[in-house]
Amino acid sequence: MNPEAPRIPFALALCCTLLSAAILAPMMIPIAVSISDSMFVSFPPRGFTLKWYGQVLADREFQTTFLFSFKLALLVTALTVLLGVPCAIGLTRFRFPGRSLIFALILSPIVFPVLVTGVALLQFASRLGSNDSFLQLLAGHTVICLPYLVRTVSGALLLVVPSTEDAARTLGAGQFTTFRRITLPQIRGGILAGCVFAFITSFDDYAMAMWLADARHFTLPLQIHVFIERSFDPSVAAISALMVAFSLALLLVVERALGLKMQRIVAG
Amino acid sequence: MSSVAQQSAVAPARAQRAETAPHGRYALPKGALLVAPAAIFLLACFVVPIAQMVGYSLTAHMDQGIAVPGLTTENYARLFRSNLYWVVLTRTLRIAAITSVICIPIAYPLAYVMARGSAFWSRLVMFTVISPLLVLVVVRAYGWKLILAKQGFLSWLLQNLGIAQAPPTLLYTEWAVIIASAHVFLPFLVLPVASAIGKIDLGVEDAARTLGADWRAVFWRVTVPLSLPGLAVGVTLVFSLTAASYVTPQILGGNFAAMLGTLVQQQVLSVNDWPFGAALATVLLIVTLVVNLVMLRLFERRFARWAGRGEAR
Repeated sequence: MNPEAPRIPFALALCCTLLSAAILAPMMIPIAVSISDSMFVSFPPRGFTLKWYGQVLADREFQTTFLFSFKLALLVTALTVLLGVPCAIGLTRFRFPGRSLIFALILSPIVFPVLVTGVALLQFASRLGSNDSFLQLLAGHTVICLPYLVRTVSGALLLVVPSTEDAARTLGAGQFTTFRRITLPQIRGGILAGCVFAFITSFDDYAMAMWLADARHFTLPLQIHVFIERSFDPSVAAISALMVAFSLALLLVVERALGLKMQRIVAG
Repeated sequence: MSSVAQQSAVAPARAQRAETAPHGRYALPKGALLVAPAAIFLLACFVVPIAQMVGYSLTAHMDQGIAVPGLTTENYARLFRSNLYWVVLTRTLRIAAITSVICIPIAYPLAYVMARGSAFWSRLVMFTVISPLLVLVVVRAYGWKLILAKQGFLSWLLQNLGIAQAPPTLLYTEWAVIIASAHVFLPFLVLPVASAIGKIDLGVEDAARTLGADWRAVFWRVTVPLSLPGLAVGVTLVFSLTAASYVTPQILGGNFAAMLGTLVQQQVLSVNDWPFGAALATVLLIVTLVVNLVMLRLFERRFARWAGRGEAR
């Protein structure tokens, strides 16, 4: 990264290579196992077959839960943006009583264990007499995604050069026009980073969905856990391989199409 | 808004300046209005449910399958009375603590190369550290199951390298849970540490080297102390996330390494003892909050001292 950086010693490079291999192994081993032509999972794989992929892709449960989780994640992302972007603007651009308290409130779901927030939401929904599982999942996931988006968008807002906004105003642009033409292009990266994080958080979530999902609103992570407990053949490995491929595609889309650095998304 | 803007271009701009400026006096309605939807949403879907859960754990307990209302500490007393719950609680804290400690020596080389390595190494390490975050936790846990199983990758590897003839099976032990948790939560430690190391002035390390320190001394006496704030954030995250995990211990530990999350799940979804489940969840919440507060306070103060010294130089 740094032009004047000291050279990495050989031992350190070796150490990092080994650690990287160990980090990537749990995502690579399922791919090797998934082509095994045997009834039980074992290593090394025996023979070669793609039948497990065919079986998994034709599986109704896999299809429906994948689509459901995908749709849920998209809706959660949209709701998070609708609530989060105005909130970030309010927190960074205005001063009002209770501002720091609200900032703490918005960020606190990061610190609270998702499992605890989930069981609290379940008991709350049940006391209200709500059994709309979809609405509960939408609300629950938005609670855990909102802080990340507010953080990335606030960070981007603080980097906007204030004089560009002032210049637009002086030249007669209204408040909305200034936001759309001047501020928005500058915070686009922050919003997109928050969106990607919200999508992944919702799509990956287990600890919230285990409480709020029901049979008709079953998410993919819950379904994969059911597969893991239920079957011992390499079909689960095929699902894992497919999910790794899906993640790689997501990574490429994010890096290429949106021009985002993954580090920004994670580090916030 | 636009009609006002048309009357005079300059006057409203000045008025807006007052509003957008952080110290604006007229900002109250608009700022609060922008924040209100998110704040009300979190109040309704986060604060009230959590408060209600904590309240529920103190105002009801189950007696022969029936919820008895009334102020009570019975749910918490039960936690300390029964050996089973105590074992699970201490196991949860032990697994979370060991996982956090194990992550530190793994995270430092990666973070150091990420922050200080050449463009190639930095990008490579960044990719391997971040890419797992995009893969479902359930899938990563399953990957470890395939590695640690009796006929898994690890035993095959050890046998073929001639290290062990009959390697011990790690699956369904606490160690399986620890290994997988360390893997799942490692990025949350590497990233803050890398960012802290990246912020260290290269001149400080050079100065130490010029004054005769070898790389070991530079690392232990300059890099590590100055990266402690990042370490504190990362370790706190790993500890909290591990202590509250459910699906990783479920897949890798089975019933042999049940953690607090499993206990909450059983009490709420299987036994239907909601007040006791609420009490267990509250305990988990308190543990997490206390660890967060203590760690961050501790390191904030120590770091403030270091930073102060740094500025004085």
